[in-house]
Amino acid sequence: MSSILAQLLLNGLIAGAIYALVAAGFSLICSVMKFMHFAHGGVVAAGAYFLFMFSQWFSPVPAILLALVTTVLFGVFMDWSVYKQLRKRHASNAVLLIASIGLMILTTNLILIGFGADVKTIPLAQHNPVYTILGARITLIQVVIIATSALLFGLLYYLMKCTRLGKALRAVADNNAIAQTVGINPSRMYLATFILGSALGGIAGMLIGLEQNLYPSMGLSLVIKGFTGAVIGGVTSVHGSILGALVLGMVENLGIWYLPSGYKDAIAFVLLFVFLLLKPEGILGKRFERG
Amino acid sequence: MAFSAYLIHLGILSCMYVMLAISLNLALGFTGMLNLGHVAFFGIGAYITAILSMQGLPLWLTCILAIIGGLIAGILLAFPTARLRGDYLALATLGFTFIMAAIARNWQSLTRGALGIPGIPRLVASNEQYLFWISLSTVIVALLVSWLTKSSIGRTLQAIRDDELGAMVLGKNVFAYRMLALGVSASIAALAGFFFAHFITFIDPSVFSIDDLILMFAMVILGGLASNKGSVIGGVIIFLLPEPLRFIGFSSSIVGPARAILFALILIGMLVYRPRGIFGKVDLS
Repeated sequence: MSSILAQLLLNGLIAGAIYALVAAGFSLICSVMKFMHFAHGGVVAAGAYFLFMFSQWFSPVPAILLALVTTVLFGVFMDWSVYKQLRKRHASNAVLLIASIGLMILTTNLILIGFGADVKTIPLAQHNPVYTILGARITLIQVVIIATSALLFGLLYYLMKCTRLGKALRAVADNNAIAQTVGINPSRMYLATFILGSALGGIAGMLIGLEQNLYPSMGLSLVIKGFTGAVIGGVTSVHGSILGALVLGMVENLGIWYLPSGYKDAIAFVLLFVFLLLKPEGILGKRFERG
Repeated sequence: MAFSAYLIHLGILSCMYVMLAISLNLALGFTGMLNLGHVAFFGIGAYITAILSMQGLPLWLTCILAIIGGLIAGILLAFPTARLRGDYLALATLGFTFIMAAIARNWQSLTRGALGIPGIPRLVASNEQYLFWISLSTVIVALLVSWLTKSSIGRTLQAIRDDELGAMVLGKNVFAYRMLALGVSASIAALAGFFFAHFITFIDPSVFSIDDLILMFAMVILGGLASNKGSVIGGVIIFLLPEPLRFIGFSSSIVGPARAILFALILIGMLVYRPRGIFGKVDLS
């Protein structure tokens, strides 16, 4: 029994680490730019599919770098072509949100046309040894996922707390108007946010692509997990979102101890619903308003 | 002969989408509720119809029960989300859609899960008759919603949208009005689901798909928020626009995604360049 528990906890940690990578980018964009970027899921899926595409032509390292760069460009292009135009027209949050769902559907269907509906696997990960810890099994790629997430969260924390860029980003997130009066250019900060957020999303997509299969609607299911984690932890707080996503991964995997595994997704939605109703600001966040 | 059958097919589905657009506009445009649960009400209506008519219930009864089911679902959703606005209401109603889809996929003894429910009896023998019944229902729905939005109830709903606090100060029960709007909107969506289930004769959990939500939003935004005339025109235009794709000779595996891409592009384009649509009077806030 204890080895089952250890396995479920470990699975929860792996799922949580993946969700946290998605949630971190989502909530970074949400906290600085004050809107829900659902199409972040599209960026995550693009990361996985770009890696799939490039890994057929190049060796692993250039393939990963190329995939990361193209994914970031894709995310920035979304911002430039749609969100920036909407911001110029002072569109409301509701408009940005609906546009982002539109972009999400657009990306999913572009992938469907470009790569087909069948499931794909990235050929980089053929050698994948299995280790045993306390009776629980973990693959090398899963170790890499946990280690990369931990490293990225450390870097992100350092960036946000200790660098000029991070301070400027937090200033814009806190109060855009006052940030402008001290000479911070918000449009450059928005660009930086989209670069950072899309890079996080792209890395998340690549890691997920290495561990699991690729399918066109993967972005939608991942962004649902990401924003659920973000809502649990607090949408406007990046470290809150990471915590919330880890909680979500754990709860989902411990939940299937009691429930049939088909209800795994339903657990996430019920948690989302409960938090929105009872504590919409999440564990660590604040309610956000757009000025 | 085949071409007239095709036109009748288009007519039936246009009517269904017009009903969906009119009802979404009641909640979204007139009352200002950013409701992403509309597709769930449609799915609930379709599933109630499919399950009950497979049990051999008569048509008029499944129709009434589907409408009542939609009404109850709308009211049930209004209660917990009463205090949520804007983004948070959108997230909660989207979560509601996902929960309904998860139930449809997992409660296999009731819904047969991903296999779906095939062999739903047809409403009437011929499509010509079907077109008559669905047109009649659409006209009734359009007249009803148009009367409702012009009545004092409709004016109160718009007052709540424009200035909630102001409406409260005038002694309006904001919660009751929002519940009414969502309930009526949901029951019309469920009626559209009733027609869908009997026409297609097969449903599976994909009736809860987000792609259809984008389609409904594109119709309402193109026609214009808070305009019933707009919903009718937007519904027909958006539904018919991708039809030429079928004749260009693309394979069906391309036509489906191409339709979704077209709808998403229209929606985004409208939001960027003409957010008030053709007849819209208000902005989405």
